[in-house]
Amino acid sequence: MDPLTTITLTILTLLSLAASGVAIRRIKKAEPDEKLERRQHLLVGLTAAGSAGLFIYRWMALNENLQPVTSHVDGLLLLTALFGLAVWYLTDRNRMPGLAAFAMPLMTLVLAWGICASSFTFQLWEISSIIKTVHLVGVYTGTLFFAVASISGGMYLYVQKQLRNKKHPEKLGRLASLESLETLIIRTATLGFVLLTIGLVTGLVIVTSGPSVLGEQWWFSPKFILATTVWLIYALVMNVRHTTSFRGARAAWLSIAGLVLLLATFGIVTAMSANADAETTTMRPIPAPHDVGGRA
Amino acid sequence: MRIMMLGASHHGVNVDLREKLALSGEALERAIGDFRQRFPSAQLVVLSTCNRIELYVARPSVDEPDADQVRQLLADHCGATLEQVTEATVNRENDQAVLHLFRVATGLDSMVLGEPQILGQIKRAYEYAQQQGTVDKALHRIFQQAIATAKQVRTDTGIDEGRVSVGSVAVDFAHQIFEHFEDKTIVGIGAGEMAKLTLRHLLRLNPKQIWLVNRSLDKAKALTDQLGITGSRGGARPFDAIDETLIEADIVLTSTGATEPIITAKKFKPLLRKRKLRPLCIIDIAVPRDVETRVGSMSNVYLYNIDDLRKVVDQTRDDRSAQIEQCEQMLFEAVGGCMYQIQHNDVGHLIKQLRKRLHDMGEIEHDRTLKKLAASDPENISDVLEEHTQRLINKILHMPLSQLDDRNTEAPLGFYAAALRRLFQLDEDASVTPEKTDEKKSTESSPETSEHVSPNIPRG
Repeated sequence: MDPLTTITLTILTLLSLAASGVAIRRIKKAEPDEKLERRQHLLVGLTAAGSAGLFIYRWMALNENLQPVTSHVDGLLLLTALFGLAVWYLTDRNRMPGLAAFAMPLMTLVLAWGICASSFTFQLWEISSIIKTVHLVGVYTGTLFFAVASISGGMYLYVQKQLRNKKHPEKLGRLASLESLETLIIRTATLGFVLLTIGLVTGLVIVTSGPSVLGEQWWFSPKFILATTVWLIYALVMNVRHTTSFRGARAAWLSIAGLVLLLATFGIVTAMSANADAETTTMRPIPAPHDVGGRA
Repeated sequence: MRIMMLGASHHGVNVDLREKLALSGEALERAIGDFRQRFPSAQLVVLSTCNRIELYVARPSVDEPDADQVRQLLADHCGATLEQVTEATVNRENDQAVLHLFRVATGLDSMVLGEPQILGQIKRAYEYAQQQGTVDKALHRIFQQAIATAKQVRTDTGIDEGRVSVGSVAVDFAHQIFEHFEDKTIVGIGAGEMAKLTLRHLLRLNPKQIWLVNRSLDKAKALTDQLGITGSRGGARPFDAIDETLIEADIVLTSTGATEPIITAKKFKPLLRKRKLRPLCIIDIAVPRDVETRVGSMSNVYLYNIDDLRKVVDQTRDDRSAQIEQCEQMLFEAVGGCMYQIQHNDVGHLIKQLRKRLHDMGEIEHDRTLKKLAASDPENISDVLEEHTQRLINKILHMPLSQLDDRNTEAPLGFYAAALRRLFQLDEDASVTPEKTDEKKSTESSPETSEHVSPNIPRG
């Protein structure tokens, strides 16, 4: 385990928490507050840049053979860096007002997860081929887009509830409209779907082309079933515009359910891999201990 | 410099008379031209809107015009008689005139408290006066300061925030549901006055189409023509076509006089599928209501009735009223600063004028004394210089002391006396010294001052 990673992740988590607080305060205030807006923008930018910096540091200074993603903490860092940049871009110049209030709490949770992944459940991955790299990058960047879709879904439900309660838009802190939120859900879910499809196809290639931690009957494994369910949910969300029954709130709920399932899949996969490692240590070559010693 | 505001507004003057008093277009141009000709040293800005006609005049303290002359000018160029103008207009001077302009610019004097349009109208009036060449330092400062202060007060207090009409609140709700309107269809049901007012607000969204459904097709057509909704932009439809129109609609505005709801849950439910669950915003401003409450709880339907909209309007009005005191305080301070700057500039100008005048007097006496010295015996130099000094003092004191003549019953003698004591640091109880008595005698004997100065006023 690398202490610098854990310390930096803790600082980033606190920054993200502060950004969440500022963003929530902003939408609770009826009047626009430029000072809060600037503060929120700075905190989101710092969190995103910090995550990206830590990811690059680990990639360049710690990981073997300049591999970018060699452990779960690397994946989470890649996710938070891209997610932070996406939030920073979408909230800049009011492209999607109020999004940070919903996005930053999730980012805080992912960063806190990153602390756990770096301190308590640190585990190296075996990156033995291009296919596996594509698989991991596809799944992580796909998750990034699903996270944005899910945040937009949460925001959609919040705005809808306030509108049903007849709360005047000015008192809503000028949040994005339902139409633009629905469009964002569809677009990010579509991109996530494409990337997840790439991740799943490469995953299938990996499990069918050699000994797998999923076992002989991999198609019955929870990882495979959950991943397929997530894929189906997003296929549905992606097509809401073409169906009559999955518009508006239903699409929002589905995007949230999709992300929850995806994160559950990650959790199960991490747990399964840990068990499988314990059972099949001899099957998986672990990188040289000089590097591991620095991190673990 | 004196500042004057003469005007009439919606406070106490009815719309008919306001229309007569208004100055715009050629009448305004003629009035300003006439003003320039009659009062070349004065400045003028005319603010003429549907709610007020106000003339802001700045002039040197002793110059024209006074309020009656401005009233006459207005009467000469507007459609009202001098009696009507005199009866309708109020006159405010200096601080009060400036404070009035600041209040108007902030929207505190508006019919709808805090409304922002007036600030634009003031800017245009000021720019127009600039083009006409009737604005100089004083009005420049006052108007620029009024515009800047109004912006600051609006930003700091939020007096102009919130909606104050049902139509604008309806537009806000539509904006929170939809991002773009160029692909949206608005449907109006009913063709009354309220529908017309609210449709005007919705028209500003620039929707793809607007359909108006009414029991009387002719009335609907008349309203669509009046609102300019023709051709591909939409038009009128018969009441029977209400279901098909509701399928197309993204925003529905209902305002019929029907005694029973015209859109019921039972009737609307089958239309939801045909609409493919597209979001629908329904604005029901009819009393009694045109849309059943249950329709509002259906999937992707957002229903707002007149009570929901009025609640927002009332809240905004309450919020704005709470801001008035803060605004007034800010304006009071800003006016104080503005008037101080104007007076400061005025005093600077005054000092320059005074110095120049004294210098001119000095030069004349200087030349005269030089000639006398050249012609006189060197033994008499002292007498010549004494005469020079006396003449200069007399000349300088002639104008101010002539104002202290007690035959002038209009003159504020007490004020002048106090000012003199203050300016020349004269002690009220001090006795006149023998030297000063001599000077007094000499002054009294001077042909240039003895004519106007009262003998019982000390001149030392």
